[in-house]
Amino acid sequence: MNNTLQKNTFRQQIEHSAEIRANIKRYYIYVVLALIVMAFSLMKLDQVTFFGRGHFLSPDSIINLLRSAVPILILSGAFTLLMISGYIDLSVGSAMSLTAVVFSWLILNGSPFLVAISITLVLGLIMGALNGLLVMRLRITPVIATLVTLNLFKGIALLIVPDGTSAIKSTPTQTMPGWINDFARKDVLLGLPWAFWVAILIIVLLTIVQRKTILGKYAAAIGGNRLAAELSGINAVKTIWLLYIIVGFFAAMAGVARASYMSLGDPLSGDGMEFNCLIAVLLGGTAFAGGEGSVTKTVVGALIIICVTIGLMTVIPPYWENLAKGTVLIFAVVLNHLLVQEKIKA
Amino acid sequence: MEIKQPQKLIIGNKLSDESFITLFMIGVLIILFGLACLVVPNFYLPKNILNLITNNWFIIILGIGVTFVLITGNYDMSVGANIALTGVLSVYFCQGANVSQNTLANGLGLPYGVAVVLALLCAMGVGAVNAFFIAKLKVPSIIVTLGTSMLARGTAQVITQGAQRNTSLPDAFGVLGNWNLPGTPFRLPLLIMIVLITAAFIFERKTIFARRIYLIGANPEAARLSGINVAKYLTMLYIFSGLLAGITGILLASEYQAGVSSRAMGYEFDALVVTLLGGVSVAGGFGSVLGMFVGAIILSVVTSAATGMLLSPDWQFTLKGIVTFLAILAQRYALDKRKG
Repeated sequence: MNNTLQKNTFRQQIEHSAEIRANIKRYYIYVVLALIVMAFSLMKLDQVTFFGRGHFLSPDSIINLLRSAVPILILSGAFTLLMISGYIDLSVGSAMSLTAVVFSWLILNGSPFLVAISITLVLGLIMGALNGLLVMRLRITPVIATLVTLNLFKGIALLIVPDGTSAIKSTPTQTMPGWINDFARKDVLLGLPWAFWVAILIIVLLTIVQRKTILGKYAAAIGGNRLAAELSGINAVKTIWLLYIIVGFFAAMAGVARASYMSLGDPLSGDGMEFNCLIAVLLGGTAFAGGEGSVTKTVVGALIIICVTIGLMTVIPPYWENLAKGTVLIFAVVLNHLLVQEKIKA
Repeated sequence: MEIKQPQKLIIGNKLSDESFITLFMIGVLIILFGLACLVVPNFYLPKNILNLITNNWFIIILGIGVTFVLITGNYDMSVGANIALTGVLSVYFCQGANVSQNTLANGLGLPYGVAVVLALLCAMGVGAVNAFFIAKLKVPSIIVTLGTSMLARGTAQVITQGAQRNTSLPDAFGVLGNWNLPGTPFRLPLLIMIVLITAAFIFERKTIFARRIYLIGANPEAARLSGINVAKYLTMLYIFSGLLAGITGILLASEYQAGVSSRAMGYEFDALVVTLLGGVSVAGGFGSVLGMFVGAIILSVVTSAATGMLLSPDWQFTLKGIVTFLAILAQRYALDKRKG
């Protein structure tokens, strides 16, 4: 009788600790975000009051933060879906730059907003399809294939911008219409612009896709074991190709948002976006090889990155940025390893 | 009952796949060179041909490390940042201490030799960090090396406050990068490159270490089961790659007599491109440093022909992307054809 009692408590202990671990895994990212927000809120308290002007949590600062976060919010959901399936796209940054350049060029040359955005989004679909072609049809490793398209898109973006200027922007002969800013800056609701609410809508949509739709399930299946998925009747080529097209589409939308925010098309504006997305995805607990992941947690990861980048801008000189980002990446990698990879080992 | 025809034996085909691909790429090089000579006046001058090799000496040195790492199926994207960091450190360590008010002119005041050794140790340290995450924690190498690249470049940027350090240097600083073999235009970096690539080629062909690297790339599980300590080999390769980047960093810093935080941007992509051009398979287990060397010359021909045709430098990105893409497809096609 004594033995049974001991066995029960031992099993309870194991279950209890497994439960704790599962809870940590589910909620750690919110804790990290809360800690970072708290850390930045406690800075410069000798100069500003809580929620007052200049403080991290002041309305102006929060609006600025969320407005700058729009491109990564738009992009990280689709990027997560792709990473869940085990594939990566390193060209999203250059795709974003290229679409920003194309969009501003169209607006500068007189296209109305809807026409310009439609053409740009179609361009995004094409870029995604190209990536899909290279990876799935020509069976080039995703890393190399998307590095190739990274250079290709960057090159085309640089070539579109006329020599002597750094970006597509107002010239002595043509002026960029003022309304280009409206999408990404003009206050529509709660002080936030259209672009932000569109991003929220996209995030909700992609969360539903990831959790409830067949596409999301197929992506996870392919990520878990591509061969098993194919033997179960999943057309991996079509599914992954579709995911690349979706990533391209949202990269284009992110490019539109960035161009609208800055009122110009900078062919280098998207550089490093793929790292930001990667860090967000890693922080959010998606495994490298795929098979599991969550759009909402990636979005929280994206918010963490934005807080860190914007927050640090006010506190430290700009040349610390790479070191800070690299540290965050390594931190995300270690965190991801501890929480996610452990499961695979077992 | 059908009698199966006996398989056609591949007898007498003594040329290994690697040599085949290297010869194939040499053929591609000759064709491209011919095209360049048609399009660009004076392309065939001996001085120009020499330039094709000497312009890229740093990419070739980096390429040695990247080739071996890629043969195991991993990437090393931190070499460019490593160059910048090593260069900056080599300056910082031997700048005079307490020389001026400007913090960028003050260093640690160590002798040049000590500074060089310490900087190389830091370069190898970067490689060790890479190896820790890749070999021990099994994190995908592309992510790790991109991360260490940011860390290394970030450190270089912090030490130089985003710019460069180039003052209060000892006289010995500019010697290594600018030393000429008397009577010839061959500078020390070029000679070092030649020595390294010859050594690498001999190493690749003759040593057991290299053979094991090929096995690790071809089938990591089989390598592990054969008793090869894969983690140890990967660690040594990444530290070696870091060391090569460090040597290049020291030479470049010495040549320009400055530690610039923005040096070597994009060199890791160039090194990867020339390695791929040289026939190293991304899947691992296949490739040769000689192929990488040929790939470097191909890249030289393409970029200098583009400059000669007066194309804007922005074309470089697009060209590199297209050339890599065509090379991968051509190599795969050639190998498939060969296997029948």
